[in-house]
Amino acid sequence: MRKRGTKSSSQYLNLRIYLVLGFFILFFSAILFRAFQLQVLDTKDLKSMAMRQHKRTVNVQSKRGDIYDRNSKELAVSIEVDSVYAQPGKIESPRSAAKALAPVLSMDRREIEKKIRSATNFVWLKRQVDLRDEERKAVAELEGVGIMKESRRYYPNRQLASNLIGFTGLDANGLEGIELHYDGMLKGASHKFVGDRDARGRMIVFEDFDKTVPVQGMEVELTIDKTIQYVAEKALRKAVEASGAKAAEVLVMNPTTGEVLAMASMPTFDPNDFSSTTPRHWRNRAVTDVFEPGSVFKLFLISAAIEENAVRPQDGFFCENGSYGVADRVFHDHDKYGWLTVAQIIKYSSNIGSAKIGDRLGKNRLYRYLKAYGFGDKTGIDLPGESAGSLRPLKNWSDVTLATISFGQGVSVTGLQLITALSAVANGGFLMKPYVVKSVRDANGKVVSETNPTIVRRVISEETARKMTDMLVSVTHEGGTGVKASLDEFEVAGKTGTAQKPDFKHGGYLKGAFVASFFGFVPARSPRLAILVAIDEPNGEHYGGTIAGPVFKEIAEKSLSYMGVFRERKGSTKVEFVEADAAKSTAKAGSDEEFGPAAVPDFTGKTVRSVLRMAKGRSFDVNVMGSGKAVSQKPAPGQNLPTKGPVVVFFQ
Amino acid sequence: MIRLRDYDRLLIIATLMLLVMGLLMVYSTSSVVALKRFGNQYFFVKKQLTYVLAGVICFVGATRVPYGFYRRMAYPILILSALALICIYIPGLGFTAGGARRWVRLGPIAFQPSEPAKLAVIFFLAYSLAAKQEKIKEFSIGFLPNILIPGVIILLIMLEPDLGTSIALASIVLLLNFIAGVRIRYLLYLVLAAAPFIYVVIHKFSYMMTRIMIFLDPWKDPEGKGFQMVQSFLAFGAGGVRGVGLGEGKQKLFYLPEAHTDFILSVIGEELGFIGVAAVTALYALFLYCGIKIAMKARDRHGMYLALGLTFMVVLQAAFNSAVVMGLLPPKGLPLPFISYGGTSLLVNMIAVGVLLNIYIHGNEA
Repeated sequence: MRKRGTKSSSQYLNLRIYLVLGFFILFFSAILFRAFQLQVLDTKDLKSMAMRQHKRTVNVQSKRGDIYDRNSKELAVSIEVDSVYAQPGKIESPRSAAKALAPVLSMDRREIEKKIRSATNFVWLKRQVDLRDEERKAVAELEGVGIMKESRRYYPNRQLASNLIGFTGLDANGLEGIELHYDGMLKGASHKFVGDRDARGRMIVFEDFDKTVPVQGMEVELTIDKTIQYVAEKALRKAVEASGAKAAEVLVMNPTTGEVLAMASMPTFDPNDFSSTTPRHWRNRAVTDVFEPGSVFKLFLISAAIEENAVRPQDGFFCENGSYGVADRVFHDHDKYGWLTVAQIIKYSSNIGSAKIGDRLGKNRLYRYLKAYGFGDKTGIDLPGESAGSLRPLKNWSDVTLATISFGQGVSVTGLQLITALSAVANGGFLMKPYVVKSVRDANGKVVSETNPTIVRRVISEETARKMTDMLVSVTHEGGTGVKASLDEFEVAGKTGTAQKPDFKHGGYLKGAFVASFFGFVPARSPRLAILVAIDEPNGEHYGGTIAGPVFKEIAEKSLSYMGVFRERKGSTKVEFVEADAAKSTAKAGSDEEFGPAAVPDFTGKTVRSVLRMAKGRSFDVNVMGSGKAVSQKPAPGQNLPTKGPVVVFFQ
Repeated sequence: MIRLRDYDRLLIIATLMLLVMGLLMVYSTSSVVALKRFGNQYFFVKKQLTYVLAGVICFVGATRVPYGFYRRMAYPILILSALALICIYIPGLGFTAGGARRWVRLGPIAFQPSEPAKLAVIFFLAYSLAAKQEKIKEFSIGFLPNILIPGVIILLIMLEPDLGTSIALASIVLLLNFIAGVRIRYLLYLVLAAAPFIYVVIHKFSYMMTRIMIFLDPWKDPEGKGFQMVQSFLAFGAGGVRGVGLGEGKQKLFYLPEAHTDFILSVIGEELGFIGVAAVTALYALFLYCGIKIAMKARDRHGMYLALGLTFMVVLQAAFNSAVVMGLLPPKGLPLPFISYGGTSLLVNMIAVGVLLNIYIHGNEA
């Protein structure tokens, strides 16, 4: 039985309940409408506001990859340093915070206070400082002030190879050199990234959010050899200081592969403190600066003439006793010569003789060979700011042009172009693509990319190259212009250059301004090094042989000794070399000597090209199966050579 | 097949769904904070799971107790509850959290006496209104005791201070009195008489004044005082219709203080979108529907008022909470029933569901 109250009180009971129900329905409707308003009508505005506060671009600096030389010696490294920041909104008293920070950061109190009072929610107070532990603690105790670890670039060798390596700015962006050209790889996959942050401005990074942690920068290994670089820089600096030259550059290349072993410029700078110097000091002149090559250029003319059978080394030319007119111009030699052979024209560097050879070769063929040597085009080296130089188009060549270009005037080149072209003569005719980066590895040491020697084209035959070498050797012999570049132990094939500097303002040439140069390769008949030295505007003595020759000699002597290249049989015209154990550092050129005469060498891991090179000139043939890298071979390494039939190498 | 007339089952389903939603959202909202603060992302959700299990036990227990028990025990419970509220002020027993004395610690258990006090007031009113049904229109019998006695409890709660709970409870008292037939005139006078008093209280506790100012214009100071409200709006807005996905919300990352307690609906709005908010609202509406149906089918007036009181307790608080986080009402600090993290509130609400079911069972027997 249900109890019921009096009629009067229960009469409207249900009505009242429904009234309350109605009240609730209204209430819920209001809530639903409000939710609809927030989530459907206004969602766009609110969403973007929320996004703005969550997402924040944060400069999380992944560790920038290190740069090494070819023997894994550090050239540029990243170290962790402290950067102190403030979040002004969280600092109650900017004045007292600034007071506390001033001694720690050794900054002016007012300066700090001004920064804290700025209307942002994040401000750097001081970046990249070295704090002691107790200072770090003092900073951490302050509310709204914090320390972020940043990576700072450090160049342990200071000036060494600085013009090549370049430097980074405060935000660890590469600004010059390798640092600039390989910036994308060095700085890691995500330098700046947008991340979620919580209300305290901290990045939300948890164990399971590892993806947001930036990928570390990759390591770059250069072809540069730190020791050779050091030797080259030291020799160059000595010459520049002695002669008071304006600038200078030196390049050392492995002529077989095109690897740059050293590349230096003067003036130079310390990349740890680049801002105290000017862009003049930062230039990597061997790549960016052009000059008129002068006499060194004769080498390319004569190699073309010989290749084309236009002349032979022993052919004679009358050198007009030092004065020779072409069209309206008269050319001179520094000494008066009568009849000279082609070889002597190189040895004594006769302009008139060269002009006559040029005349016999003709402008079409000379132009074609100069283009083949790579002049007028960038070499495509992996460095920023390369110049192409200038080789005027064939249709603009007059007889005078032909004559001047024959001895290296009216054309501009980079040091890199010269050494690359010379290397083609040294290695038997192949123009190689020059490069400075050997390999790129990720932070785990896995090789990401590797540069292999690349043949651009064959320019001259091996025969011509050999003839050129013979002639170039005479340049450093008694009576030649390059005698000061000669070495006691090794034959040097080279060429001097003493080029007047063109006057771009008034036309013609500047009086008393020269580029003194010498380039050559050594040992002449089994070249390991091609070296170019160019000294810009030396005072007083300005002959290339006298100024640049000794620099060449010093670099060649010390580098070969460092590389462990020793002369085996003295006095023999055909010089042979053995490789010492310490010589692993350099190119593969002479690697044949690593193996005993009768055993099969180990080919595993080598490319087809290098296997063929190793087999070249040895008593067995190689059968190449497949392509890629060698994976197995028959017979196995170390076993005796097969009495007949080839060694079979399988590639994959 | 469950029909719309199976109020008992529908009520249980609504409750269970809200509980599940609660566990999910407590995990989602608290894991980041828990990991930072306690090094264990499950810290809060584990505790909440314990409360849910304890709540289920209370629920089952409450279904077994004939609701007539609450009529006999109305006064003892009321007195006990008042004592507990006074205990807050006894050093060693009561303690303060967040600027208000709301907690009592008994051994290992800490609880908020204001939560069971709500039950005590409802038990008392249901008894009292049913007993004085004949003379409900009379001022001294029908009105005074039913206002003054709950008023004492409400006053004690208000002094903690816990304005939210006291207003919610006062609203329940008014609604029950209204339904029972107390003269509307008296109730209106009461509200008018209470107004200056409430005004004084609000001024005494400056935070309440601030809250009202924030409510009036949260965008005036979005970085400072309006921060919480603005962040709540942003959470709802960011969610849109479908939400950003469970666990994907960003607002709970220290933007929304109390994301796992009072502002949990904002995170539901962000992660589950308008659909999620509508679903939660629908579940409370279903709860209301079942509660009222159970009340109307109750065997006696006592059961009816009891059922209505308990239903209002749950649903009114849900509505208040929702309205607050959406900026429809000034902030009060009320948890969302069954969903927000918190033990005392959950146990009390589970007991309420148990009692409702008991009323249903007795109503059907008749």
